[in-house]
This record gives sequence, structure tokens and C-alpha cells, in this order.
Amino acid sequence: MERFVQLAVDGLATGSIYALLALAIVLVHRATGLINFAQGSMAVFSTYVAFAFVQSGLPVWLAIVCAVVGSFVFGAFVERVVIRRFEGGSHDVAVVVTVGLFVLLAGLSGTIWSYNHREFPSLFPLESVSVGGAHVGLRNLGTIVVTILVMGLLQLLFLKTKLGLALRAVSGAPTSAALSGIPVGRMLMIGWGLAAALGAVGGALVAPKLFLTPSMLDFVLVYALAAAILGGLDSPVGAVVAAWFIGVAENLAGGYIPFIGDDLKIAVPMALMFLILVIRPQGLFGRKQVVRV
Amino acid sequence: MTARSPLLELTDVTASYGRIQVLDGVSLSLEDGGAVGILGANGAGKTTTLRAISGMVRTGGSLTFDGRSLRGLRPDQVARLGIAHVPEGRGTLGHLSVRENLLVGAYQRKDRSGVAEDIDRCLDLFPNLADRVSAPAAGLSGGEQQMLAVARGMMAKPRLLLLDEPSLGLAPTTAATVYESIGRLRKETAVSMLVVEQNANLAFTLVDSATVLETGRSVLSGPRDELMGRDEIRRAYLGS
Amino acid sequence: MTTTQTSPAPARARLSEWWQRRWVRIAAVVLVALIALGAPLNLTQYAVYQVTMMAAFAVAVLGLNIIMGYGGQVSLGQAAFLGLGAYVSAYGVTHGWNIVLVFVAACLVPAVVGWLIALAAARLRGLAIAMVTITLPIVGIPLARRFDEVTGGSGGLTVSFMQAPEWTGLATDQWRYYVVLAVTVAFFLLARNFLRGRMGRALAIVRDNESVALAMGVSPYRYKVLAFTVSALYGGCAGFLYLVGVQYVSPETLSFATSINILAAMVIGGSASILGSLLGGVYYVLVPFVAGQVNPSRAAMYSGIILLVILFVLPGGLTSLPRALRRLRRRRDDGPGTRSTAAAGPADDGGTQAEASSQTERQQR
Repeated sequence: MERFVQLAVDGLATGSIYALLALAIVLVHRATGLINFAQGSMAVFSTYVAFAFVQSGLPVWLAIVCAVVGSFVFGAFVERVVIRRFEGGSHDVAVVVTVGLFVLLAGLSGTIWSYNHREFPSLFPLESVSVGGAHVGLRNLGTIVVTILVMGLLQLLFLKTKLGLALRAVSGAPTSAALSGIPVGRMLMIGWGLAAALGAVGGALVAPKLFLTPSMLDFVLVYALAAAILGGLDSPVGAVVAAWFIGVAENLAGGYIPFIGDDLKIAVPMALMFLILVIRPQGLFGRKQVVRV
Repeated sequence: MTARSPLLELTDVTASYGRIQVLDGVSLSLEDGGAVGILGANGAGKTTTLRAISGMVRTGGSLTFDGRSLRGLRPDQVARLGIAHVPEGRGTLGHLSVRENLLVGAYQRKDRSGVAEDIDRCLDLFPNLADRVSAPAAGLSGGEQQMLAVARGMMAKPRLLLLDEPSLGLAPTTAATVYESIGRLRKETAVSMLVVEQNANLAFTLVDSATVLETGRSVLSGPRDELMGRDEIRRAYLGS
Repeated sequence: MTTTQTSPAPARARLSEWWQRRWVRIAAVVLVALIALGAPLNLTQYAVYQVTMMAAFAVAVLGLNIIMGYGGQVSLGQAAFLGLGAYVSAYGVTHGWNIVLVFVAACLVPAVVGWLIALAAARLRGLAIAMVTITLPIVGIPLARRFDEVTGGSGGLTVSFMQAPEWTGLATDQWRYYVVLAVTVAFFLLARNFLRGRMGRALAIVRDNESVALAMGVSPYRYKVLAFTVSALYGGCAGFLYLVGVQYVSPETLSFATSINILAAMVIGGSASILGSLLGGVYYVLVPFVAGQVNPSRAAMYSGIILLVILFVLPGGLTSLPRALRRLRRRRDDGPGTRSTAAAGPADDGGTQAEASSQTERQQR
């Protein structure tokens, strides 16, 4: 039983990182209709900035806050300067533009801070707590709690504030929103900024465990993408649930099925996802697409 | 009576989508508090005229609102000047609830209690909407969506309301009800209106005068009696 | 409306007129063929190797174009098919199979895998197919690492095959170049026929609007399965060619990064274009090389910048260059003041334009 709890909590923690990035992907897709393949390297770049702040003497939590705020600005900037030009056109082209950004930012991170592993200090102490006999790392718990908090804040923003209403209006009906006086361009920038900030939080949370390198979040991005699509790509709740599912399922499979072990454990949620999608093509929470002739 | 400059004035307005020119010289003017119709056959450019005012297409010529030029402004900037555009097809934000649609309409306003009052008043006027105030707006019927769209426009307390084919896709009785409601609105708020309509009879229950468009040009304009009074004009342009 | 002045166009008109003439085009093809055939005899070994790789990746990009550019589906797993083809080839070569058998296996095994996946996935809407193809590299890499007796594990497999036969008098790299060139040309011609014929037209209808296709009696499901299978086959063939050039395969070949690089190459070369696929292959090999030459430690940065610059200037890809130039000249010819619509359009505001096209695009996918 303890093993189960340990594996599950560990899986939820990894899943939380996937969830933060998946949320970012969903945000961007809802706002601008495209998938941002650079989400991971934007997050890594922000984490490096936090690292630089830490190197210069700031306490960890402050460094992270500054980096998150900075990443918001950076995300808004990217939308306005790089992505805006491609928003009305072919999705494939826009996606490849984000690929270019991905490569550029990864290269920039490597150029400025080198490709060597860097140590990033943890926000949470490295001890474990005993939960019903199982040893649960405080860092894992902290990650999960922070993720839930962030999601809660996001829900509050979207459902209870005027800005959130405007963001939702723009993502579903930009023309009508504009006709009611909502500055669409500015909302898109805010959407991208929020997404970048989410990624930065995720990067800062996972960096202590993975060691900071330019390619730190590359595999996370792929799982986050999978989670976002499984969740229906337009549903924040779906993306998070799917992400947690991936994290927990892979950990349990890896822990309990010796044949699968640690390296093949990701195949389990992937196979399950495939099955889910065959049964429910719009994803767990997605809306059915209506095609008009 | 002192001559006032018109609230809205279009002079020789041209508009194009890419390389396709749709408007080729549209002129009209609207007095403060007045209601003018834009009539004409399908494809004459009526909707494009409203879109030109709202900044949704590339335009040439002169468009002024309250003395200010509208050229080069974005739709949200035009809306902030006090022009509410109820677009063709209603433009309902289907994924949001009825209440949220109204809140979006009131986006520019800073008076929260005033907005809340107006929403309540609107829901009183339209009990159908009140029934489904928290449901996604996409589930409303055509007539209800039209009323919601007009209400959304009015929430901004605009000086000018642009209505694009309010009767489109509605059964005749529903359309008549919609027009009645809009008429009442006009009496209560003294908002100026520009109404695009294919059905001239229906339009004239609301507006006092109209401009007729044909292939992107304004070819005729005048008060209702004049336009409806002459048989040839009626038959040629107004389909009766 | 617009009155054009006497256009200073005679030189330009002559060039495009010339191109219309059959013999000019044939001459151009012959010229390109001569260059292609003569190249290895005059270039350094490394350059020959690079051109060989360009051809291999051109085939991979063409495969992706078939399912994405022409077929309108999103596939993020092309690298998996390439890798699979390379691994199958490596296996066959190390076990002494006949080279033709190796080639056939390298093409068919990925094709069968692709076919099976498509059978299940083609019924799914839009991005679900993307999702399924993402899982290929995700699952492929650990599988490749795990079954190391077959795949050589993390270290990969080094092979040595396709040496130049004595009677040709060629160096090994030159011989390999010719073999790869021959296969590439054959596969490109096959694709050209496939795409220009009835199949290609049916694919286009399916891509543009599935409901219309259904109404016309064209089964979107069958054509998606067909396109995906062909695309996987091309991926496998590219894997074989890759192995011929590199003589090494590892789990990294299957990676997601390779998949998106192939995707980028496809878009940069030009979607839904045979020539674009070729240019994509050239881009795939050339840009990292050039970036590395300028500054090896900053190669990634420069690659990213080059990609962004190309797309900013030519969002339609490299094949859209003539179109873009024409538009530029037209605008210069029209001159200031002769256009009745002045430039006072709505200021740039992203989402408003995006709504209409993104709605339709989302529905199509």
C-alpha cells in the first residue's frame, strides 16, 4: 500500500509539471488557434533567467517570481512580434514558426549558459513526510500543491474577472468581442503571456529534479502535448486531468509491472490514450467538431 | 431650425476585400437621433457598408462620426467611440452564457451597478432570455439570439446602433416581434440607428428614410414616402 | 479601375514566356540531370555525402507531404518510420540478406505498421491523428533502447554495406550517391504520378472538405489510410537511404525532434509540392551545416533564426518565391495613386482575421 501511495504521489507530481505545460498549450490554442511547440524552451529559458537571479544572490522564491513575471512579458512580446504575422494563415506554417522559436531559444539558452547540467535550488526542502506509512517527498507534495493553487487562480481569473471574460470572449468569437470594444490584440498578448508564465512555473518546479539544461523540458513538452490533445485541446480541465493520468499511470505501470520497468513505462498511458481516442475521438472533455459543407 | 452636422456621414466610400472591390461610391448621412435604412438586393454591398463603418474592411473615401474620421480605426476602437454593431448572423458568443454575452456588451463601461441594473432591466424585458440566463447562448433560438445580440449592443449605451439584417433567418412573426422590440428601444433611448434590411416594408416600420444600394453604389435616397410612393422605384429596387 | 502605365515588363515577360516552351523545360531537366550525375565526380567526399543525405531526407519530406500537405492530416511521427526503416535495413544487412530484400523490407515493414495505425486512427477527427503519431517516437525510443540484441540498444548499430563494386571504378561514397539518387528519382516520379492522377485529386477533395468528399462517393477513411500508408512507406525508404549514407542508426533517429525537423523542412520547402519536398530535403541538411560552419557553438541559434527569417519573408515556403516576386513587381507597377482603394485598412489586430479562417480550418481538420 505504501508503495502505491509513493508511486501515485510521485506520478501526480510529474503529472503536475505536464499539467502546467499542457495548460499553457491549451491557453495558446484557445486564444490563437495554434499549437506552440516552443512552450517548453520558453519555459526553460525563463528557468535559466531565474537561475541567473539566484546566482546574483536573490532568494529562490523571489528569483522565481521575477522570472515568472518576466516570462509573462516575454510571452506577450513573442505573440505580438513573431506570431501575430502568421495568425490568419496556414496552421502548419504557424506551428513551424514556433518550431523555429523552439530551436532559437534552446540555442540561446545553451549559448548564454552552456549546455552543461546546472543545479537549480529547490523551493521545497528535500525531506520526506510520512503519510499513512508511506514516505512522500515534500518536494513532490509542494509541486502538486503549487500546481493546484495555480490552476485555482487561473479558474478565478477566467470565471470571475472582467479580464477573464474578455479573454474567453476573444478565444471563442474574436470578431464579436472586437465589436463590443474588447481590444483583441491585447487579449492575445495576455493569453500568450499567461501561458509563458505557466511554463515558467513548471520549469522552476521541475528543474531541481531534472537538472537545468536547454533540453530539460523537451520530453515534458511531448507528454504535455499528448495530455492537451487527449483532454480535447480546448479544455483546461481536460488537459490537467489527462496530464495527471499520464503521470500516475506511467509511474504505476513502471513500478508494478517489472517487464515494463522505468524506460517503457510511458508506453502504458500512450496505449491507453490511443484506446480512449478510438472510443471518444474528441478527447475526454473536448467539444465535438461540427463540419459545415 | 439650426442645421446640425450629421452624426454619421459617408461620402463616396469604397471598400474591398483583397483585390475584390465591393463598394464603389456609397454616400449617406444620419442625423443624431435619426434612423436610416440601407436597402437593396443581395450582394449590393449593404453589409459591407456597415463593416466599413466598423473598420472591418479596407476603405477609401470619407467616413466621419461626430466629426471624427473612422478611417484606419480597428473594430474595437470604433466600438469605443460609441458605435455598436450588431452583425449579420447575430455574432452571438455561443460559448458564453446569456448573462456573459450581456457583460461582454458592457465591456467598456466602468459603472458596475449601472451594468447590473441594465442587465436586470433587459432580462425583465425579455423573459425568454431570463429563463436561460446562465445557459450557453448557442442554445437559444434564432429570434432569442437576435434579441440578445441587440441587447448586447445596447449594453454599451451607444450613440449609434448598426443593425445588419435583424430579420435574417427568422419567421415573419418573429421578425415582426424583433422589430417591435427595436422600435420600443428607439423610443426609450433615443439611440440613432442604421438598419440594413432586404425587406423594405419591415425596415420602414423602423426608419424614416433610406438609401438604396446597387452593386456597391448608393443610387437613391430619400424619406419613406418618397421611396415607397413611386411605383417604378418600389418595383425596381424594393421588390414590391 | 487601375490604369497601368506602359509596363517596363518586356524582359520579365520574355522569361516566363520562355519557360512555357516545352523544349526549354526539357533542356532544364537535362541540365539538372547532368549536374546531378556529374556532381560526385567533382565534389569532395563530404559534399557528396551531404548531397546523398539531402536526397534521403527529401524522400522523407515527400512522404510527410503526402499525408500532411496533400492529405491535410497532421503527422508527427515521420521520424519513427524513417528510424524503423533504418533499423530494419541495419538488421537485414548485419544478417547478410540480399540487398534488394533489405530494401523491400525497409519499405514494407514501416508501411505495414503505418497501415495498421491508420486503420485505427483514420477514423479519428483532426488532431487525434496527430496525437497518435506523437506516441510513435515516444514509444519507439525506449523500445529501441530496450531490445538491444536486435537494435544495439542506446549505442545503436554501425553497419558497413553498399561498397562500390570493382567494375564501376567509383569510390564508395560516389557509388552510394548514385544508388540513393536512383532510388530518390524513382520514388519522386512515382509520387508525381500518384499525386497528379485520380488518387491525388481524391486526396485533395478529402483534405478540403470531408463531407463533400463523402457526398461525392470518395471515402475519406480509405484515402486517409492510403495516404498514411504511402507516407510511412516513403519514410521507410528514406530510412534505408539514410543508412546507406550514414552507415549508423541509433534511437535518436526516431526522436520527436527529428519528426518536427522534417515537418519544418516540409513547410519551408513548400507544402503540397514535389519541388518543395526536394527543397525541404536540401534545407534539412544544409542549414544545420551552414549554421555550424558560421559558429559551431551557436549552430542551434542560427538554425532557428534562419528558419524564422525564411518564414517571415516567404510564409508559403521556398516554392512560393516566384509568386511572391510577382506580387512585389505588380505592386511596384501599379504605382502610388492609381489604386482606388487607399491603404487605410483596419490596423493589424490578429484575432479578427484569424476567426474566419481558423474556424473553417478547425472544421476541416
